[in-house]
Amino acid sequence: MNVIQAVKLYITRMTEESGPGMKVILMDKETTSIVSMVFSQSEILQKEVYLFERIDSHSKWDNMKHMKCIVFVRPTSENISLLSRELRYPKYGVYFIYFSNVISKADIKTLAECDEQETVREVQEVFADYLAVDRHLFSFNIVGCLQGRSWNPHHLQRCAQGLLALLLSVKRRAVVRYEAASEPCARLAERVRDLLRREAVLIDNNIPFNGEIPTPQLLIIDRRDDPVTPLLNQWTYQAMVHELLTINNNRVSLAHLPDVHKDFKEVVLSSEQDEFYAKNLYSNFGEIGQTMKSLMDEFQKKAKSHQKVESIADMKNFVETYPLFKKMSGTVTKHVTVVGELSASVTRHNLLEVSELEQEIACQSDHSKHLQRLKNLLSNEAVRHHDAAKLVALYALRYEKHASNALPSLIEALKTRGVPEHLVKAVVNLLEYGGAHARQSDLFGLQDAVKITKRLFKGLSGVENIYTQHTPLLKDTLEDLIKGKLRENLYPTLGGDDGAYGRRPQDIFVFIVGGATYEEAQCVHQINQTYPGVRIVLGGTTIHNSTSFFEEVKAAMQGVHRTHTRHIRNV
Amino acid sequence: MATANDDEILEGFLCPICKADLKSASQLTSHFESLHSEEQDVLRSLKEIFGKAKKIILNNDDSDLKETFDRALKFSYQEHRYLDEEQSIGVSRSSTDYLKGVRSARLERYATETNKLLIRLDKLVCNMPSDPNQRKLHEQEVVPWLDGSSVKLCPNCAKTFNLTRRKHHCRLCGSILCHDCSLFLDINVARAIVDPSVAQTSNPPDHETSEKNGLRLCEHCYNLIELRKQVQESRNAKTVLVTAYEQMRSLMDKARPDVVMYEKMCQSLFDGETTYNLTDVNKMRGRIGKLAEGIDLLSKQIIAFPAEPGTRQARLQTAIRQAAAHYIKEDLLSLRKLPTEAQIEEVRRQRYERAEKQIQMERERMERQRDRMEEMAGPSVSRVESNQDDDDNPLLEQMNIIREYIKEARKEMKFEEVAILETNLKELKKEYQLQKLCNKS
Repeated sequence: MNVIQAVKLYITRMTEESGPGMKVILMDKETTSIVSMVFSQSEILQKEVYLFERIDSHSKWDNMKHMKCIVFVRPTSENISLLSRELRYPKYGVYFIYFSNVISKADIKTLAECDEQETVREVQEVFADYLAVDRHLFSFNIVGCLQGRSWNPHHLQRCAQGLLALLLSVKRRAVVRYEAASEPCARLAERVRDLLRREAVLIDNNIPFNGEIPTPQLLIIDRRDDPVTPLLNQWTYQAMVHELLTINNNRVSLAHLPDVHKDFKEVVLSSEQDEFYAKNLYSNFGEIGQTMKSLMDEFQKKAKSHQKVESIADMKNFVETYPLFKKMSGTVTKHVTVVGELSASVTRHNLLEVSELEQEIACQSDHSKHLQRLKNLLSNEAVRHHDAAKLVALYALRYEKHASNALPSLIEALKTRGVPEHLVKAVVNLLEYGGAHARQSDLFGLQDAVKITKRLFKGLSGVENIYTQHTPLLKDTLEDLIKGKLRENLYPTLGGDDGAYGRRPQDIFVFIVGGATYEEAQCVHQINQTYPGVRIVLGGTTIHNSTSFFEEVKAAMQGVHRTHTRHIRNV
Repeated sequence: MATANDDEILEGFLCPICKADLKSASQLTSHFESLHSEEQDVLRSLKEIFGKAKKIILNNDDSDLKETFDRALKFSYQEHRYLDEEQSIGVSRSSTDYLKGVRSARLERYATETNKLLIRLDKLVCNMPSDPNQRKLHEQEVVPWLDGSSVKLCPNCAKTFNLTRRKHHCRLCGSILCHDCSLFLDINVARAIVDPSVAQTSNPPDHETSEKNGLRLCEHCYNLIELRKQVQESRNAKTVLVTAYEQMRSLMDKARPDVVMYEKMCQSLFDGETTYNLTDVNKMRGRIGKLAEGIDLLSKQIIAFPAEPGTRQARLQTAIRQAAAHYIKEDLLSLRKLPTEAQIEEVRRQRYERAEKQIQMERERMERQRDRMEEMAGPSVSRVESNQDDDDNPLLEQMNIIREYIKEARKEMKFEEVAILETNLKELKKEYQLQKLCNKS
């Protein structure tokens, strides 16, 4: 159940099926991202694919009959008409067409009628229809999937198709479960179930039924159940980079930094191609510093030994180890640049202090102390407006029902601080989006007696690391699911397959409507390591940091009347 | 597990290949799997090359051998399956047949019509008179023109014919149309279409094709002919670029197994084996270097082909060069460093010493065993002396032949063969020594 591998296998086969020869790959915007997530350009070049073209680009017609064209597009009606035009006046010698999802017979007929020069050799559906971010993490890059609290129909369709593709690409027959309290989850679950039914023949023919292992489960849950996780500052490498610098399709832009080397205007952080990154993406910031230092030392030692090139033998030695040397130097410089920028941000914006309070509000219960510290931080100039708004939002969620809730005065404080209007609004929006009325789970562990005592003990023994106290709600949900304890009334199974309930699933797909986070990805990674035999793949409409999460909330609350935050009058 | 040999009888858990006595079934199995696991290929080649030696080496129970192989193969197969579980490619569905079905049904209609038009076109351009009047007659003879007396409007644009808008005829189907609706097919192009062997004057007609040097066609006929022309062109789209590219790829295909071989040879040197010597490996390195040069040269040639900057062609050429450079740098130039003579000597010596020690131990063990056996059984079974003369021992003969083969293979730089032959030679040597040992006792 390695989603990167699944996409890679599809693409590799596309390049092989067309046989030897010069190739061009013709893609749309989304499939370009899908391919670029799993292959670097040099890897693709070695597969004889030399040109990358966009099907929607309006460039001049060229006679390139000596090339083979691999078409890899999503089966949208727009793509069909663009492809029809391409086939009517073919630039390339032969065409191998792959759709990333189910395509209708009528569309194939349209293509066949346009193919008057008989250039099409192959038409296939392959199911690489999601962005494989990591082995166990995928996304559809949709920010703002809900509009006015219900699905944007395009996005609903896209997610349902993507989930169908996911199951087909890793060859699993899964039952669909969803969060009962969430209308969008129910809608998506139904849609996926319908698609699975429609493709029953394909599934029966290709995925043998295995009675020995428990039926895999696809669990669809709502971001609204845990609005806290995307708000927190993170201290693991990947999550931190995303929060502070934003990762977009495995790429991080550093162009805004002063005096950055021109090779590092945009750096690629991919666990498949970058060994250092793969090893360290879940290490915390302190460890990264250590690793970085030892790497630097090793590198400098090597660089030094190469500096004294005196004899011919030295020279030869240098040239022979040169490719490795160059590769290593690239990696080291890249990560030094990134980590350097992270650490600068941390000091610049007082992030240690901010994060400490965030964690305490999220995990502990001491209203008056938290309120006092929050007020102190709000008056601190170094704290960014964004962080200030986040802190107030956390407070609002945590102490929503507290007797002496001071949210109106905090919002006033934000305003006097000069926090921009949209951030102030975001706080209220967030409360409306993910307040107590919207959550079905006990996010802060206020009702569960076991959790309360657990927290009490934790408080007594002292926490190991004040910056990493928080664990996402997803962890509890998944552990319940693995143990077969996830309650059927809260997470019903579609189609009423009784066999699935009660048996402990081993293969789990969990999809978060409203976006996942890298903290949750790490949590899933840890569960995969801890429970032998359990394989979980996490996905979300997108992968959030706090900035994109505010956008998500804004879109979801567009045009919705405030019903639960009417008492806050000063917004 | 006793097997009858020509004239001697060996007893015990014998390895069917080297005939060493392994004392127990489990030992035999492990011995077989560790030492003869790759025997299959060797056996196959042996079977073909030497008849006589095969008889001696393989005269033991064949079914026993087969069983072991089966087991070994099944084992690796299972392992393979296990690894594959995670990696098998996901579901896909092909609609190619459906597309082809729809397409051919549609194109069949065109095909007959296009063929008809081509035959006419052939007749038209074949003996076309240059005189305009005679040409007109010739054209009408091939394709009867429609009688235009009742046609008042151009069937294509529906405008009335009059003095300025004259009636014209399509030269391929004979239908009537006005001048504005006519298209012209260059006669030279037409000639190329009917007879592709005629080299088409490749300069595309800059001048407007007109009545004089072209054939007047209606849109329908023109499209069909044009389609035919394009299909033809794409079939003969072999340019200098393609040729150079294919050459480059074939060099890469040659280099790939060489690099694998080089790594193997290098490893073997480092392990202190005597299968290859340093000159062999150096030669191999040289050959890979030559291939790299060739690839480099061709890719530079490719990038130097004229192409307008910014076009697909230019980008293609740059990308090919980039890929080739990357391939050379990553795969061909980053080869492992060779050990020096001294290093090789050192490992070989160590290995030799180890082997010596092992042989010594083995011998002692065997001596002890034999002593014990003889004590137990007494001097009862006196072994039949082999009356084979050393000189015409078939094993020796074979060994000499193989040495010849090795020399030849080395000369031709077929190191794959050298490796196989060297192992064969070693087997034979071992066999020969064993035989001698047996004869002595």
